[in-house]
Amino acid sequence: MVLVLLGLSILVFYLTRGLLPPNFALAPYVTPRMDDATRLSIARSLDVATSSCPSYTAFVDQQAGCIVPLWGQYFKWLTNVLSGNWGYTLLPGIAGTDSTLHVFFSRFPYTVELALAGAFLAIAIGIPLGIISATHNNKLPDHVARIFSLGGYSVPQFWFGAILQIVFVLYIRVNGVGLLPASGALATTCGICFADPGTINTFTGLPIIDALASGNVPYFWDALVALILPAVTLAITSIGALSRIVRSSMMDALRQDYIILAQSKGLKDRLVVYKHALRNALLPAVTVAGLLTAYLLGGVVVIEIVFSWPGVGNTALVAAEVLDINFLELYVLVTAVIIVVINLGVDILYAKLDPRVRY
Amino acid sequence: MAEKEPDRSSQTGRWADTRYMLHLFRQNPIVLAGTLISAASVIIALISGLLVSSTYWNHITPSASLCWNNQLIDWHISNVYNCGGPVYPLGTDLYGRGLLQMIIVAIPVDLQIAFEVVASAMIIGIVLGGVAAYMGGAVDEIILRVTDIFLAVPGILLAIVLLVVLGRTIPILTTAVLITWWPFYVRLARSQVLSEKEKLYVERLRATGAGGARILFRHIIPNTIYPLLIQGTLDIGAVILTVSALMFIGLTPDPKYPELGNLAKQGIQYIFTAPWLILFPGLTLLIISVGFNLLGDGIRDVFDPRLRR
Amino acid sequence: MTLKKEEGPILNISDLRVTFHTYAGDVKALNGVDLTVRKGEVLGLVGESGCGKSVTSLAVAGLLPRNAEFVGGTITLAGADILKMSREQIRLRRLTDLAMVFQDPMTYLNPVLTIGSQILEIITQEPQLFTSTLVRHRLEEIQSEGKEGPALAAERERLLSMSRTGKAGRREVNRLARHYVISILRKVRLPNPAKVLDMYPFELSGGMRQRVMIAMALVRRPKLLLADEITTALDVTVQAQILQLLRELRNEIDASIILITHDLAVVAEVCDRVAVMYAGNIVELADVDELYSNPLHPYSKGLLASIPRVDEVRTQQVSIGGSVPNLLFPPSGCRFHPRCPMAFGKCSQVKPPLVEVKPGHLVACLLYEE
Repeated sequence: MVLVLLGLSILVFYLTRGLLPPNFALAPYVTPRMDDATRLSIARSLDVATSSCPSYTAFVDQQAGCIVPLWGQYFKWLTNVLSGNWGYTLLPGIAGTDSTLHVFFSRFPYTVELALAGAFLAIAIGIPLGIISATHNNKLPDHVARIFSLGGYSVPQFWFGAILQIVFVLYIRVNGVGLLPASGALATTCGICFADPGTINTFTGLPIIDALASGNVPYFWDALVALILPAVTLAITSIGALSRIVRSSMMDALRQDYIILAQSKGLKDRLVVYKHALRNALLPAVTVAGLLTAYLLGGVVVIEIVFSWPGVGNTALVAAEVLDINFLELYVLVTAVIIVVINLGVDILYAKLDPRVRY
Repeated sequence: MAEKEPDRSSQTGRWADTRYMLHLFRQNPIVLAGTLISAASVIIALISGLLVSSTYWNHITPSASLCWNNQLIDWHISNVYNCGGPVYPLGTDLYGRGLLQMIIVAIPVDLQIAFEVVASAMIIGIVLGGVAAYMGGAVDEIILRVTDIFLAVPGILLAIVLLVVLGRTIPILTTAVLITWWPFYVRLARSQVLSEKEKLYVERLRATGAGGARILFRHIIPNTIYPLLIQGTLDIGAVILTVSALMFIGLTPDPKYPELGNLAKQGIQYIFTAPWLILFPGLTLLIISVGFNLLGDGIRDVFDPRLRR
Repeated sequence: MTLKKEEGPILNISDLRVTFHTYAGDVKALNGVDLTVRKGEVLGLVGESGCGKSVTSLAVAGLLPRNAEFVGGTITLAGADILKMSREQIRLRRLTDLAMVFQDPMTYLNPVLTIGSQILEIITQEPQLFTSTLVRHRLEEIQSEGKEGPALAAERERLLSMSRTGKAGRREVNRLARHYVISILRKVRLPNPAKVLDMYPFELSGGMRQRVMIAMALVRRPKLLLADEITTALDVTVQAQILQLLRELRNEIDASIILITHDLAVVAEVCDRVAVMYAGNIVELADVDELYSNPLHPYSKGLLASIPRVDEVRTQQVSIGGSVPNLLFPPSGCRFHPRCPMAFGKCSQVKPPLVEVKPGHLVACLLYEE
């Protein structure tokens, strides 16, 4: 696991700093009015330019002997990063500071909220849908569910988000305003929103949870309502994928011999399906969970743009436009850590469900 | 005295298998629908040059404006109102070009990128996965770890980084999406070859002195490509969606580039005033994606040995 | 042993016809099966693979797959007509009257659940059916333990009140069920039963798994036990152990057993009567000794003749010519006639009925019509 993260950090480092000219690394630290000498000294302090580099122009031209070798840069960067020093970012911070960590983590909770909601919907809708499909195989519920899954799996997320916005904000209107909000994480101008939800205390940074913890129900409601459309859009592809997998593995499980024995023991159908078949059918679905996490965390970028969600996904895009290296590195590595950790959790869960793996 | 047994040879033997599969294929409405849709999109892609002049997408009307049903929605570039006749059944885009025509031009672009990505990913996956599974040991470990590294990042992020660093051109877009896709094929190919190489005929081949590469490429791999082909068909839809999503968020070589996601991007600010800008390109994406997914599903159902009881 | 012949048979199958609708056509699997099983007897059901033995037992249990159709006939189990019952009624029957044991315990046991989970669930999902049994069993246990401390006395009181009111808390039921199941596992000669409950199927050997399946059947105290090729997947030594177990059990429990097998030697060891099945029909039915010494149907004769014998010198393996018919297009009349050395004209036109040629010995062959 650590090896994977290390390898990834090398890859990302190379992509950003190895492929771009070294003066890009200076971007957050220099102002247009600085003179070349100052810039050079900044470059040296960042360990990008060697101390023997004659001038700033030589540095920009990447003259021989002027640039610290990439491996050296990498190790310096690695020590910085591991000690919590992520430098500065070009993006404006919410509270005024430009530290990469601060800018990132002030917006990150919103993305987490969105991703968690998406994951919740994917599991809560996808799995039961697959079960229904399998147990009513080739009858009407199966056909409906399969059409729905296929649609969810094939639909472009940005298009689906736009459709939802058109339907729920433009067409379905309450009191002259759309039923649901079209943007933002806290909806105050929608048909079923509270116009003035008040304030909350920050515990986790996730609006919904903090609102509950602060006891502020209107705020909680507004945050929840704002979450509906983005979360559904994010989850739709995963719902489709998950229900297809659950359907096929349930159908597999129901064909097995142990189902016949279970029935011959006089067990109720519900027990046979949910205890005997499902335990086995969930195994392939669990292995996919890790992949779905990666997909969800990637999908937030598009969703945040379509719904103007104040998370870290659309900020990443802005950072990419301006080639803000620190921010991009932090974003990629935080995402990777999450994915690796969840994969680990999935492996543990799998071992718990399938005793054969433990031996 | 026993009766003469009627000729039952059509029920048994090698041909029964193939004929049964074709029979299923023909009977399965899903596969039929999928084949039709994907075939239609490929055909449109191939003849798009005939339907719409190939210079169309470069030709911006001097007075570009946003039209729908000959009604002016927005002046975008110039002040001169120019919504020409029934030429624009689906309205125009921000540059005054007919949306239907743009979609027709964009379909082959998307399909081409998707086919390139999937084909390359399959080849890389087969080679790397096959080698990893066949040789085992350190080679296997290294390839697996490298695959893990790429699987730890969401594809879109990696593609974004690559595109902004290396430039927003179509070849780089193709490469970026390819880089995020090949790990899946490596894994798939590896597990296929792993189970295949345990079979008896491999040992027999080895005993006759056949070299490793020869065994791998001429014998094992042809027997294991079916799941990869199925996955590839299914992935064409997914790749098109990824590519168009990347274009949608702005990583295009050129705002006027004829690609379905790029066309949709024009419509972000116009969701409520000119929804067709997003709707029709997106709908096209949906249809193409559904077509290839149905096709892939159908092929998988037909080739699945378990369903043949 | 005394067979209460005045009491009706526990199972009566009459002219049962079952057809499977498959992609290749209709498989006429059962072509008018007639079978009766008396109370307390062990009936062997023999035949080649594909002759319909398993289909018959699955039909009795109501477990045929969805593409099976009952074209005709009746099945009466303990006086009730199975074919007229709803799914729920059949399910309850499986809890009280009927139990099945299958061939390959590795695939028939759920690999991700513990043995205990798979046995106890029988009891815990309809506890009211088992309460009296559990209480009685535990009371006997306490009695046999001899000296009674205060804890056991308190428990005895609790149990007695439970049996009076008929109600029991879930935890009590689980605890009693565990005791009961452990004693059953001991009865099937499983070592260390308490530990087995927490193990998984793949941790046990083939013989142990088969005993677990038998235990699952015994828990319900069924009136009829259907054992479908239970020794086929086992080594010969283990096979002998299981058969020995079966012999011991039949004296203890009060159930009739249908032992389905293709192995005539197994039948000789355990069964009272034996039915020979071919291509969806019962062709002969008699006491074991009678059949083995005096087979009447040409098929039975062929079967018995093809068993290698230690006390005979043979230069050639004897077998029955031809092969098992394709049940998509079964032979007309008597289904055995294409392979029968004694077949004559009428055999291809008329299906021979199962008639009693000697007392207790029935044959379905036109040779014995007169």
